[in-house]
Amino acid sequence: MSTEISRIRNFCIVAHIDHGKSTLADRMLELTHTVDVRAMRAQYLDRMDLERERGITIKAQAVRLFHEGYELNLIDTPGHVDFTYEVSRSLAACEGAILLVDAAQGLEAQTLANYHLARDAGLTIIPALNKIDLPAAEPAKRAEELAKLLGSDPAEILHVSAKTGEGVEDVLKAVIDRVPHPEGDLDAPVQALIFDSEFDTYRGVITYIRVKQGTLPSNATIKMFATHVTSEAEETGVMAPEATPVDALGPGEVGYLVTGLKDVHHAKVGDTITLAGKHGAAEPLPGYREPKPMVWSGLYPADGNDYSALREALDRLKLSDSALVYEPETSQALGFGFRVGFLGLLHMDIVRERLEREFDLELISTAPNVEFHVFRGTDEIVVHNPAEMPPGGDYDRVEEPVIYATIITPSTYLGAIFELCQARRGEMVDMQYLTPERVEVHYLLPLAEVVFDFFDQLKSKTRGFASLDYEPWGLQEAKLVRVDILLHGEPVDAFSSVVHRDKAYEYGKKMTERLKELIPRQLFDVAIQASIGSKVIARETVKAKRKDVLAKCYGGDITRKRKLLETQKKGKERMRRVGKVDVPQDAFIAALRVDEGAKKK
Amino acid sequence: MSAAAGIYVHIPFCLTRCGYCDFNAYAGLDGLKPRYLAALFREAELAAAGWAGTAFASVFLGGGTPTTMEPDDLRALLAHLRDRFDMTPDVEVTIEANPDTVTEASLSGLLDAGFARLSIGAQSFDPAVLRSLERIHQPTSVRAAVAAARRAGFRNLSLDLIYGANGESLESWRRTLDETVALGPEHVSAYALTIEPATALGREVAAGEVPGPDPDLQADMFLLACEVLDAAGYGHYEISNWARPGFECVHNLGYWERRPYVGLGAGAHGYRDDVRWWNIRPPETYMEKVESGDLPIGGSESLDPSDAYLEEVFLKLRILEGVPASWFDAGRYEPYVQSGLLIDDFGQLVPTERGMLLLNELVLGLTG
Repeated sequence: MSTEISRIRNFCIVAHIDHGKSTLADRMLELTHTVDVRAMRAQYLDRMDLERERGITIKAQAVRLFHEGYELNLIDTPGHVDFTYEVSRSLAACEGAILLVDAAQGLEAQTLANYHLARDAGLTIIPALNKIDLPAAEPAKRAEELAKLLGSDPAEILHVSAKTGEGVEDVLKAVIDRVPHPEGDLDAPVQALIFDSEFDTYRGVITYIRVKQGTLPSNATIKMFATHVTSEAEETGVMAPEATPVDALGPGEVGYLVTGLKDVHHAKVGDTITLAGKHGAAEPLPGYREPKPMVWSGLYPADGNDYSALREALDRLKLSDSALVYEPETSQALGFGFRVGFLGLLHMDIVRERLEREFDLELISTAPNVEFHVFRGTDEIVVHNPAEMPPGGDYDRVEEPVIYATIITPSTYLGAIFELCQARRGEMVDMQYLTPERVEVHYLLPLAEVVFDFFDQLKSKTRGFASLDYEPWGLQEAKLVRVDILLHGEPVDAFSSVVHRDKAYEYGKKMTERLKELIPRQLFDVAIQASIGSKVIARETVKAKRKDVLAKCYGGDITRKRKLLETQKKGKERMRRVGKVDVPQDAFIAALRVDEGAKKK
Repeated sequence: MSAAAGIYVHIPFCLTRCGYCDFNAYAGLDGLKPRYLAALFREAELAAAGWAGTAFASVFLGGGTPTTMEPDDLRALLAHLRDRFDMTPDVEVTIEANPDTVTEASLSGLLDAGFARLSIGAQSFDPAVLRSLERIHQPTSVRAAVAAARRAGFRNLSLDLIYGANGESLESWRRTLDETVALGPEHVSAYALTIEPATALGREVAAGEVPGPDPDLQADMFLLACEVLDAAGYGHYEISNWARPGFECVHNLGYWERRPYVGLGAGAHGYRDDVRWWNIRPPETYMEKVESGDLPIGGSESLDPSDAYLEEVFLKLRILEGVPASWFDAGRYEPYVQSGLLIDDFGQLVPTERGMLLLNELVLGLTG
């Protein structure tokens, strides 16, 4: 039984991490009796264990609530900068958005960025302050800040405590009253937007869709516009919040579709589903974009024997992660592995953690890097691994990806932010005061600088108060060079890095100094050098080892001594050899941790 | 079982506990001495049954500080051991002593009882180094103990030295070596200070309160010891041991040559035919077990051929004997011969002084 289109409301919640989006969703589920109180668990909609642990939502989800005779489809959006495109597709499935802001902390960059996305998508915005029960809450001040941003009256801003439930009823009422109902023609050719898709071991690829036009019946032969794949769909349904089959999904409705596909890459987020054959729509919905990896890293099994296990694990992950791309690569130092592309640093963390946790793999990952476009004559080479970059400037120019960053900060930290962004080759675009105390700054920054512990620096320089969001801006020429690290004259490919010319020395010095601490003394002096082409820019030496023997070895010492030797022997077997130099695996891991903390939680 | 065997007797009592020491030794347990002595007697009886037909070429009383026991008790103990175990006519009997625990009279008594070899824990002649090691004696006590031993008639004296303590310089070490040579002992043991994690010093180093020894300085100190002691006519017969010809320690050579030995006392180790075992470590538990009429064995291990091989290699490389080159592929040892860590002495591989310092590397490289 389909709901009359005028009684449907599709909306989402735009909020910063920890500002209470999931808790508000939980309250809505309770208030509308969508979930039995006994079956309720915190952050009901966050399904993956990893999501619940990290307190973030990785994949969008949709749930259908009934309230006061209205069908309310709450579309959950991913709350992280890596997933901006996914957010935009979720927004495209809605007519309204609740802009949820922590009454104590105020607006954050991510919320602002997503608000802009929502506004640009033409959504009705319902501003709401959450956590008004907190002693630190400053609802009046925050309301003013929000009102200024929205150009509205502070009185229109709702006050909510998702924790206690206060004001949640008002939010639902506002959704019904203020968000326009969807529009669409019941009999038009089907156009359904995929805003999420996932792989289920039993059912294959399941997509979450918003039907824009027409009626999508269960068991239809469907067609994907972007991938030109057709399939026999098996089921349409809605999440209420568990999967509940329905006969068809009509215009304006949100639900799921069991596609009959086996590969999630055939049903990509942003693509349009229609019916195969002559009843199909002629055009897809606008806005489809191929997922584009922004950050790359080499992943290698710590134990070389696990290479095929890693391959299988990646193949499995790929079934449920359409943004994941990878290709085999070989490193002299690390053996066989893969160069893996990610949407961003969080995505990288999640993939690595899932590989280690779900597939029981121990991994070594190289420092994350961006892709570089190298131009030589009429050739353009796209480099995903610094070691592939032509050495010593053997090219006409290099371009690197640049992002458009939004930073929101208390004004007291402006100086620190200018300094950081300048050090990171940033170029300020503009700046505006949200309130006398809070500023929104926009910068163009090379992505390579952002993946290099920028988040950490930003957080530490602003005591955690500044927030950051960014979107791809384009490519820009830069004076980049490849810095190689050599051990005893042998380059270690895993340590090669592409850095700005002005920072090459700093990088070389840091790496050589770090490696000096990590590489055990050998029987000979080991030179650790950083070079650009054939020019050495930094050098350290690990002096030859002179003594390793235990002075005493009497009757009671022999067993212990033998066991020590056996342990050392095993340790030696696990060493990786670079030319003549034995390097413990831990040294690789520790040395590559230069970018430790380049993670945004 | 033809090779001459040794008897090790562990005396776990000390006047004080030194910060660097991880031996099974205790201060303040003097009240246990009579009972411990009785347990040693009893254990000797229990153990001797398993060693019928074995000729013992050495007895070594170590600790702890054996000379904290009464000379008469030590005499009775040695007599008891002679009674229970077969010994060769020229059996070497060693007792360890700390300088402050001996007098001419007590030493006369020990010599008379049959303890012909005396090993004195001198450690250093630099008062600052002794303090850093938490030794309670002064350099003068070492000189006095040596003089007393000579007057008592000892002809076989060994001095134990430790180098590389916090604050010790190469110059200070040279003075210690010179003083040692001047006292003219028959035997010198010189040990690079090793930081054991389970000691007071180990914890201080781990906590960063005290710097750990500098291995390069210790290497220089080792080479200096080789130089000074060689010039004074001492033969370098094991990594940490030097002796005038004919005064090499028979007992300790037994460990490196993998001859059998029986260990008596708390925590003492025994070895025979690729089996090693060790007694219960805490003195109280050790005594209870013996008193109930059982051998106080706390654990044992049986060496498989690869364990035995590894031990053979690393123990024999410690002594001048070395190991046969034929045990290894030439590719394994030749680089070490070329780089001057090993000498190929007509088919025996013997470490050079530099090679001795890198013995772990050699053992791992040779046995792969």
